Amino acid sequence: MPRFHFDVHENGRVIPDENGQDLANESEARKEAVMTGASIARDAFVAGSAQRVVIDVSEDGAPFLKVSITLEVEKA
Amino acid sequence: MPSDAIRAALVKRLRISSGITDDDVKEIEALPIVVRQFPAETPVVRDGERATDCCLIADGFCVRSKTIASGKRQILSIHIPGEIPDLMSLFLHVMDHELSTLTPSTLGFISHETLQKLHRRSPGIAEMFWRDTLIDAAMFREWIVNVGQRPAPARLAHVMVELRERLKLIGRAEGNSFDMPLTQEQIGEALGITAVHANRVIRQLRQEGIVELQRGRVTVLDERKLLELADFDGRYLHQSPML
Repeated sequence: MPRFHFDVHENGRVIPDENGQDLANESEARKEAVMTGASIARDAFVAGSAQRVVIDVSEDGAPFLKVSITLEVEKA
Repeated sequence: MPSDAIRAALVKRLRISSGITDDDVKEIEALPIVVRQFPAETPVVRDGERATDCCLIADGFCVRSKTIASGKRQILSIHIPGEIPDLMSLFLHVMDHELSTLTPSTLGFISHETLQKLHRRSPGIAEMFWRDTLIDAAMFREWIVNVGQRPAPARLAHVMVELRERLKLIGRAEGNSFDMPLTQEQIGEALGITAVHANRVIRQLRQEGIVELQRGRVTVLDERKLLELADFDGRYLHQSPML
């Protein structure tokens, strides 16, 4: 099974994923990245600690994909 | 482990939380218990299994959990020495969730037949165990509120404070640190977040100088901030016969 690392970027600050996870395939890793991003964004957006959350995923050490979630609030 | 040590945490807990009488303590001390050692992260009773005994944790940490079709596991509760996490199996014959160890554990098995006889012989103990399962339900209510309503850092803080209050009762949380032997993945499973999000929450609590979780041990850095974040009101633990 490939090993995936999910680094979290919040407003430019990085939390490196030191452990990594063995996941069955890239589709599982994509799902994990989206869930992680959405779940962190929920906390960070509500707390006001960030407006943008990026999950930077690598697969066996090589870049795989990035999931970006941005908060946009438009006042009428 | 000597046989009174198997029951020590249970008796200690019941003395404080239920005001158990000395006669009832004697009954519990006379209970036949089969002791077995379990390795870490091992099922004790599986979902769907028909249980014939109740399991008293003499040493170690266990969890109750349920796994959905996609394979994701929700940890429902964390259990410590002195607790009988599957006491309900005495009346609910087929398990509707799993009980498993987190750490290597010493478990004492008491047969349903023995417990039924004990209940008939001593209604005081039956009432006490009934109260125990009601407190168990109160803890589940709090767990639902926690996972459903609080942001993840507060969820973790709440679980930590609750665990500490329960460990205190059996004399296993002294000073500013205590055991919480969950991996990042297991914390995620308990809080309903991914392992990576759990990692982020653990780091945040450390960076904010609230609490440090390292190798399964929690060190409180700022008690006031921890209690404020956890929004903890321990009434639901009913840790006194008056509550």
